[in-house]
Amino acid sequence: MAGDALRGSHGPERHHVLTADFGTADLHRFDVYRGCGGYASLEKALKEMAPEEVHAEVKTSGLRGRGGAGFPTGTKWGFLPKDVPGPRYVVVNADESEPGTSKDRYLMENSPHMLLEGACIAAYAVGAHQIWIYLRGEYDKPYRLLTDAIAELRSEGIIGPSPFGKDYLLDVHIYRGHGAYICGEETALLDSLEGKRAQPRSRPPFPAVKGAWGRPTLLNNVETLSAVPWIVRHGGAEYAKFGIDRSRGTRLLSVSGNVQNPGVYEVELGVSFRHVIMELAGGPPPGRRVKVFWPGGSSAQVLPESMLDTTTDLDELARVGSMAGSGGVIVMDDAHCVVKAAHRLLRFYAHESCGKCTPCRTGGNWAVRTYERILAGEGSAVDLQILDRIQDSLQNGRCLCALGDSAGFVIMSTMKYFRDEYEEHALRNECSAEKVAVHA
Amino acid sequence: MTALSEHAVEEIKALPARFPEVRSAVIPALDIAQEELGFLTPDAMTEVAQLLKLDPGYVEGVATFYSLFHLEPTGRHHFYVCTNLSCTLRGAVEICDHIKRRIGVQQFNEVSADGLFSVEEVECLGACEYAPMMRYEHNFHYDLTPEKVDALIEAAQRGARNGR
Repeated sequence: MAGDALRGSHGPERHHVLTADFGTADLHRFDVYRGCGGYASLEKALKEMAPEEVHAEVKTSGLRGRGGAGFPTGTKWGFLPKDVPGPRYVVVNADESEPGTSKDRYLMENSPHMLLEGACIAAYAVGAHQIWIYLRGEYDKPYRLLTDAIAELRSEGIIGPSPFGKDYLLDVHIYRGHGAYICGEETALLDSLEGKRAQPRSRPPFPAVKGAWGRPTLLNNVETLSAVPWIVRHGGAEYAKFGIDRSRGTRLLSVSGNVQNPGVYEVELGVSFRHVIMELAGGPPPGRRVKVFWPGGSSAQVLPESMLDTTTDLDELARVGSMAGSGGVIVMDDAHCVVKAAHRLLRFYAHESCGKCTPCRTGGNWAVRTYERILAGEGSAVDLQILDRIQDSLQNGRCLCALGDSAGFVIMSTMKYFRDEYEEHALRNECSAEKVAVHA
Repeated sequence: MTALSEHAVEEIKALPARFPEVRSAVIPALDIAQEELGFLTPDAMTEVAQLLKLDPGYVEGVATFYSLFHLEPTGRHHFYVCTNLSCTLRGAVEICDHIKRRIGVQQFNEVSADGLFSVEEVECLGACEYAPMMRYEHNFHYDLTPEKVDALIEAAQRGARNGR
């Protein structure tokens, strides 16, 4: 694999909760991870803490899910019923596929044991003995590393009937996805795990009550679980010292597109996107300007350059009409066309619609056809009205999951800030982005 | 009824024991079949269904849902090139055009005349900091340039000449 150098946060920094040990040679191996203090948290949890105490630390930390929805993790852990006998599961959502998002891959490739340790602690906290990692099928290297790491844990006895001498069976399995964005949605993921076409379920019942194979299930994202060992080791209150307001801790942002130093950067929540894009990622190529950015994956409403001072606070992003989402920051400069970008993303949402809800199944394709007409120079004012109608029909709870809304957000937010570019294409068959001189 | 080798059949038969429910074995089973045959033929899907005691229509329904399952032949070497936004902003479309020219095909998923190559346009592969990138032979390839792609194509051609 050529060009496989680490592109992102690594090494000790005050705010490197997840990435401080990244860059250590062979960190993916058990003995090296253990040497960096790894599995001390699992050992501590099993030997010194009751499950409720572990749960309490996670609640205190203020950690919110890093997969996209930002739901408080401690609250989610508390949804599993306490008094139901029989199997229950921890399912790791490692189906990272939100466009512009690569941070879970970064975590699993650098420190597969950190994820495994977090998942084992979570299992202990919610009373589960089996962990299923739903890993996207295209992630070959994470698959190889996790497979090896699990084998190491078996031979160390950490996976097995008595980890660290504690009578608490732990078992971990990997389930490989096969190419479907919708599997990132947790109930679709469960359908896929059960061997079905992946389609979101209507809720209730929620997965905590009736999840994998009909059993109580905790579903958490890779990054969320990877933060758990640190929280157990240092305490939830220490973790909560990072961040701002209701956005506690740090998170990984994968910054991509037209920046000079694309990479996966760990930031304390509350820093601005100007810091992330212009400083950490080095800003756009010389001579160009940031035109627009997606702050949380392609499903987050776009923000124009004038909003670069917006912060990574989850609630602030919601207030300005976007979302923190998956932490995938896609940057586009002024030499690129917003209408063409929106067209590309609508092709994505149309392709990935699972087909269950009509607005999403048909709306995405109608939007793609409309964009094609506009970009072929055959557009009109009517086409802009059509796009407006489609984006409305995709949103506001008309679909079971967020995929339809996301497609609508792309249309709505790009039209909101770049109406003039849409009109150039639709009414005059012009593209001002193409006229920007490109210094390659 | 012998779309699959004895070895593949044994592997598939062993799958259900790994899951709380038999149905969960269908995707790994189809994966075993595709690894062996290169793509999923109707006979292979029927055989998977029989081995898992599922309805063949159900198995085909699952196979058609997931984009990593191929229901048509691919080249022996198959390029999965990401063209989602982060990669397109850094030249993914040009890389696709270059590959198509080099292997002599007009369209995505078309197999080259010698049967060696095909190229597929895929959605975000989650390695956006290395854009443009692709998946090839169970590895990610980063910071793609025409030269890097050429080297992979030439290596595969040399391999084919040497009977590999």
